Amino acid sequence: MERIVFDAAATIALVFAALMVLSRNPVKSVLALVVSFFFLAVIYVLLFAPFIAAIQVIVYAGAILVLFLFVLMLLNIRHEGSGKDPRPIQRIVGGGAILVFTIVLVALLSKHGTPPGLPPASEAAAPHIGDVARAVYSDFLLPFEALSVLLLAALVGAFVLVSKEHRP
Amino acid sequence: MNLLDWVILVARVALPAMILPAIVIPLVWYERRVAAFIQDRPGPNRVGPFGLLQSPADILKLFMKEEVIPSQSDRFLFYLAPGLAVFSALATFAVIPYGGTLTIAGKDVPLLGADISIGVLYVFAMTSLSVYALVLAGWSSNNKFSLMGGIRSSAQLISYELAMTTAAGGVILSAGSFKLADIIAAQQGTWLGFIPRWNVFPQILGFLIFFIATFAETNRLPFDLPEAEAELVAGYHTEYSAMHFGSFFLAEYVNVIVSSALTATLYLGGWSLPGFHPHGVLGVLLSLLVFAAKTGFLVSVFVWVRWTLPRFRYDQLMALGWKVFLPLALVNLFWAAALEMWKAAR
Repeated sequence: MERIVFDAAATIALVFAALMVLSRNPVKSVLALVVSFFFLAVIYVLLFAPFIAAIQVIVYAGAILVLFLFVLMLLNIRHEGSGKDPRPIQRIVGGGAILVFTIVLVALLSKHGTPPGLPPASEAAAPHIGDVARAVYSDFLLPFEALSVLLLAALVGAFVLVSKEHRP
Repeated sequence: MNLLDWVILVARVALPAMILPAIVIPLVWYERRVAAFIQDRPGPNRVGPFGLLQSPADILKLFMKEEVIPSQSDRFLFYLAPGLAVFSALATFAVIPYGGTLTIAGKDVPLLGADISIGVLYVFAMTSLSVYALVLAGWSSNNKFSLMGGIRSSAQLISYELAMTTAAGGVILSAGSFKLADIIAAQQGTWLGFIPRWNVFPQILGFLIFFIATFAETNRLPFDLPEAEAELVAGYHTEYSAMHFGSFFLAEYVNVIVSSALTATLYLGGWSLPGFHPHGVLGVLLSLLVFAAKTGFLVSVFVWVRWTLPRFRYDQLMALGWKVFLPLALVNLFWAAALEMWKAAR
């Protein structure tokens, strides 16, 4: 049962990730990414991490990608300039990179097999939301606060960039 | 799992999903009658007794009408959007407990779809997906009014979601759990013997913010900017006709019911009453009635407000969300935390 759900979710997530890259229409790219993220959340649920799954849907699918859509719609980019590719070299380099990555991955997996030592996910070993909160606010307090300062700096930076009055 | 377990499971999940849309039919009639009462006119009173068959007749009409699709629209997304709206509205209800625990053949059956450990977060995840329905409808219609409506809705929903989740944070804090069943359990008993221990009393600020934010989340007046008919024709669903328009209509009313049910669960004790311990089938039926009464009261407030307040201007709506509700929701969160500290210290 678990295997079937995982295979289905993983396949859909991968297919839509590929669609995201291949789609010529930026709005459809974003939508494909939404579907991909949603099925990634399904995999998190299978791993007994419902909190991460919920955050994945709320933050990534529900907020960040909506902002992407928002900007795309405001700019109203309907289609990428079809016909002539402005940089044909990208296709060759990109294809080569995929080929090299695949070869290295297959070689590594066939030599070493899947990484050992990881116990299978189980409900008993899964961290509770309380454990996550305790870890974030005790052991990882400094990185957590540093991250929020970073976000604040980005926010202030964006504000400075758009406000016309304070421009030198 | 034997056959009985499967039947119970399917019933738990499927019954609310079928009953909710069915409740919308009398709800639309109720809203039109209340609107008529407020505006001092009779309202629909011709079809059937008290005009009760007006809504079924309207639905039949919507099914029979010709479907018109704009020629330049994106067909797939155009059809997908209304379905997505109904899906996210119905899926939200899956974690809300709507009654006490029923005992069938020696098994305890709690009356809710799924008792998951992240209940409240699941609700927010589903409501955050509902924005896609409006945005896609607006974009795929290839109409400037629709697009404006879609863009407005995405900005509005994201802004008010912040205040809403922060306000709900106070409730989660006082219950110490994301599970909606635990949140109801934390609201049992009374203060001073007669005040129910509902979250609405210590966290009245959070309750007001949460409930007002649900108006914005469901696109109801006074926050129905995405479809403001005076400026945007009908906003994101301008180009929709027949039952695809009906789906958006259905989704809006299901959202109203679900938001009211959620508010009742978070702040008014859900299906419970002080001193009421449901036993047997009769008790569980009573708990269903209690839940329906609380939800119905809040739905009535939705209807009442719609025909009382005028629409906000768009910049007023945004200023209210970001500059008033979000800071007040943070104040509420600190207040809830202070209350917990005080309780722990005592």
